Amino acid sequence: MAQPTLSRILYVEDDADIREIVRMSLEMLGQFQVAACDSCADALSLIHEFSPDLLLLDVMMPDVDGPATLRALRERVSAESAPAIFITAKVEASDMLRYRDMGVLDVIVKPFDPMVLSGRIEQIWQRHWSSFNDNGG
Amino acid sequence: MITADEQFAQEFAKLSATFVAQLPRQVQALSNDLVAWLSAPRDAALLDRLSHRVHQLRGAGSTFGCCGISDAARALEQYLAEFRSDATGGSASTMDEVKAAMEALRDEANRIYGESAQGGQRGTQN
Repeated sequence: MAQPTLSRILYVEDDADIREIVRMSLEMLGQFQVAACDSCADALSLIHEFSPDLLLLDVMMPDVDGPATLRALRERVSAESAPAIFITAKVEASDMLRYRDMGVLDVIVKPFDPMVLSGRIEQIWQRHWSSFNDNGG
Repeated sequence: MITADEQFAQEFAKLSATFVAQLPRQVQALSNDLVAWLSAPRDAALLDRLSHRVHQLRGAGSTFGCCGISDAARALEQYLAEFRSDATGGSASTMDEVKAAMEALRDEANRIYGESAQGGQRGTQN
């Protein structure tokens, strides 16, 4: 299967400062189209209209956290059509196991360097698709 | 012609300056939340809100390169986590540690804000 181009990223983060940095980084340095959402509800209202290639989710959010947001989004889009990455400072071994069990592609650890964030996401995307194709996907 | 990296660096510098300018206000809001929670230490919703705000400040501090803020917020977050995991409402000594951690965070915010303000004044004088 030909590797799809990564161009549209739906990003969910409750902290306005971090959200703005990531949005700028992905748009300006990665040339991605970004829908930046501040909550699960916001993401749910946008997901069909925006039709993302990738979900990028903060983990620690009030009300509905990242894993719960991913579960809610998965009721609308499959992991095949929009795989996910978590971005979080909560990376103890038990947390990482839980994220992997949810089928996310990878976890980006906070604090992150905004100058290299786009490259890191592109790298994860490439690795995912090359592994998908190697496994006969 | 300006590159994407340079453009991003400029925008990032603006956001960083805004973050520093708002630090005293952010820390004051945290302090207000702390006072509210100290008056009702068994109120889980107040503790959740306070913990989340501290967590946000820790993340933003490290992202904007304010490691002292991030470290002070992390210390406060850890003390608060002890209360979250302690159904009895925590001990008096931990309460004192929370207050001391809040003061350390406030001192660091004031220090960074003061340095930034001095730098700005120097910049306008030159």
